[in-house]
This record gives sequence, structure tokens and C-alpha cells, in this order.
Amino acid sequence: MALVHLDALYHVALRLTRNRAQAEDIVQEAFLRAFRSFHRFNPGTNCRAWLFTILRNVFLNRVRTQGREVLEAEIGGVDQAEGMVDTHVGANPEERFLQTVLHGDVDRALATLPMAFREAVLLVDIEGLTYREVSEIVGCPIGTVMSRLSRGRALLRRALVRFAREHGYVKEDE
Amino acid sequence: MNCSEIRARLHAYVDGELTVSDIAEVDGHCMGCQECAALVGAERVFRELLRRQPRDAAPSELRARIVRRVQRDAAFATSRRWLLLPAVAAAAAIVVAVLLPARTPPPLVADLVDKHIAYAQLERPAELSSTNPREVAEWFQSKAGMRVTVPDYSPSGIQLTGARLAEAHERQAAYLLYEKGRTLLSVFMVPISASEAALPGRRVSYRDHDYVAYEQKGYRTVSWSDGQTVYGLVSMLDYDALLECADRLRAERARQTRL
Repeated sequence: MALVHLDALYHVALRLTRNRAQAEDIVQEAFLRAFRSFHRFNPGTNCRAWLFTILRNVFLNRVRTQGREVLEAEIGGVDQAEGMVDTHVGANPEERFLQTVLHGDVDRALATLPMAFREAVLLVDIEGLTYREVSEIVGCPIGTVMSRLSRGRALLRRALVRFAREHGYVKEDE
Repeated sequence: MNCSEIRARLHAYVDGELTVSDIAEVDGHCMGCQECAALVGAERVFRELLRRQPRDAAPSELRARIVRRVQRDAAFATSRRWLLLPAVAAAAAIVVAVLLPARTPPPLVADLVDKHIAYAQLERPAELSSTNPREVAEWFQSKAGMRVTVPDYSPSGIQLTGARLAEAHERQAAYLLYEKGRTLLSVFMVPISASEAALPGRRVSYRDHDYVAYEQKGYRTVSWSDGQTVYGLVSMLDYDALLECADRLRAERARQTRL
């Protein structure tokens, strides 16, 4: 019943690590941990959310042991950075640039987001989890999830507009 | 709610995270406010774009490696049976699960389940309360120019209670409400374009017809497409009852189309 979520976990892991070998590594470790602590899983609760929680913990552990404090700082630091992002950026109702998004642009744009925003967007927009599930996975209040999400989406839009300019689909003044 | 209150709730609204009464408020506001309606539209388009992204499947080699490791761990646990590790049972469950296909329903089906849940919370989910299939069909015709087949399930103890126009997949859909005792059965009919006709998913066959069947958030769904419309049944009723209802709706629809 847990391996049905393998693809979803791998998809998220790949976007957290941006590296196939590392993604495989943390997915495998997450599954083995899940297996060993399966007795702690409450059958009434959401198995996928539980697996994402384990995956995230494995990932953060790896990052820590590799001494990449930058990402750690991102995780903790973004909430103080509130207000730095204009959430209405790109809220042009027509959003013509969305028609010009090329294959791979969304992944490239996601990769530019600070980790806390990236994981909120990934879990809600790509994996379809609820705010409550994400708040449990990342261990912060629903309000924080909501603000990370709206800032994450705004940054994502901004990056996509930038790519559209690079592709020449959107002019500089748009 | 005014515009700034709506905008503060924009993301939660599009994500389906508002309460039913808040959803109704935002809906009402957007009908009279083009700017907010445009923002909602833009947010939906953006989310659609994100959802449409191709997904990476885990390499089969990784899957095999995990299964091998889990089996090895399970064998080790069995060899220490006196410890009675609960992991043995868990391992069996996980290994069995490998045989099952991924079971995420198509977005349209997931959307219908969310609609069913949202409307089930309302005191009076129907716009038109009626137990008369003919009256309901006429209501759709006059209200939205829709030719809707309204099957009569009353011989099976499933009573028509009413109908409404619903939004599903960003288009207007016909929504029939039935009840068996206190269990709600929702029947949705969503117009689709030819390019969307193939409804992906896990198929079950019932009386020579194929249906897509999913269990989502504790509800059972049976859906099919006739090339112009996706029909979706959502309920806590069992699959036998749902498939029987689906079969009757399909037959009734075929009869009406021939007329």
C-alpha cells in the first residue's frame, strides 16, 4: 500500500534535490524508514502525507550532513522575508505569457524558488495535498503554509515571465 | 466581502480550501465584479498549467531495489520471530502493494468528488427540489438549454431529490441529486470536447461496458464518457449499486438519443 506512492515521492524528491541519484537515494531511504516504522503509522490517517513527512526529514538530514547550511537557512529564514515579494506580480488577468511556457520552464522556475516556497508549491500545486496536510508535513501553521504558497506562486510567475522574455514571447515592457 | 477581502482569499478559493459559505460569497462577488473574476480565472489557468506538467515516474530499477530491501528486512524480522516485529505484517502489505497500479483518479473525477463533498454539506444542495424525473429534465432544458437524461432509480429505493447547475472543470455541468436513505448519490454530466473524450484510469467492466472506478476520500466513483459528455457518479453506496445506476443511465440515454 505504500509503494503506490513511489512515483509521487520520486517526483517530489527530484525537485527537492535537483539530482537523480540523490533523489533515488532519499526515496529509497524514506521507504525503508517508513517500512521499519510502519507500526507507528495510524491506518486512519493519510499514508501519502506520512510518506512525504518522512521523505522531507530524510532530505533535510542529508542536507545537514552535507553541510549545505544555505538550504537550512532558507527553510528557516523565508518567513522573516515576508513582504519582500509582491504577491500581485504577474497578476495580469490575461496572463498571455502562460500560453508561451515551454516544456521544462516550470521545472526551471521551481528550481529558482527558495526551498520553503518550493516545497509548498510542489505539495499543493503539483501533488494536490491540502493546506492541513502540508502544514503537518512541514510542521508549521496553516497560515504560514498559505503565505509561503502565495509568495511561492508569485515568484514562480515572475520566473516564468522572465523565461518568456528570454524566449522572446513577451516584450520587455509587458 | 469586498474586493480586498476576496483577493486575500483568492488562493484558498481556487485551492478549494474555503468553507462552503465562503465559496458562495466569493462566487456571488465574482458574478458582479469582472476584475475579481478575471483574477480567479488567471489563478485557475496558472494552477492548471502547474498540474499539467509531465511527471517523472520512478525508475523501475529503484522500485525493484526497494522491494528487495524490504523483503530482506522482512526475512530478517521473520528469522527473529520471537520479537514479533509488526514490521513483518507491514512488509507483506507493502510488497503486495507493488502489484497494484497507482490509483490517483483523473482530475475531473477528483473534482466531482470535491463537488459532491461540498454540496453534501449544504442544508439544501438542490436548486430545484423535485422527485419527478420529467420535471427535472424540463428544468435543465428551460434553465440552460441542456438535454439531460434523468434516470428513475426509485425501484431500487434510490430517490431523486432534485437538481442544480454546477461548475465542474470550469464549465457548466448538470448535477442530479439522489438519496438512498440518508446516503447521497450525485450524478454529474459534464460536457467535454472531442480531444478530452478519453477518460484515463482504472477500468472495470459491467454488462459489456467499461467504466472508470476510483475510490477517493472515502467516496466511490464510477465514470464514463460517450465522447460528448463525461458522466460521473459519486456516493458512499457500494460499487454494485453504482454500476447498476450507471448501466441504467447509459441505457436510458441511449434510448433517448435514438428517439
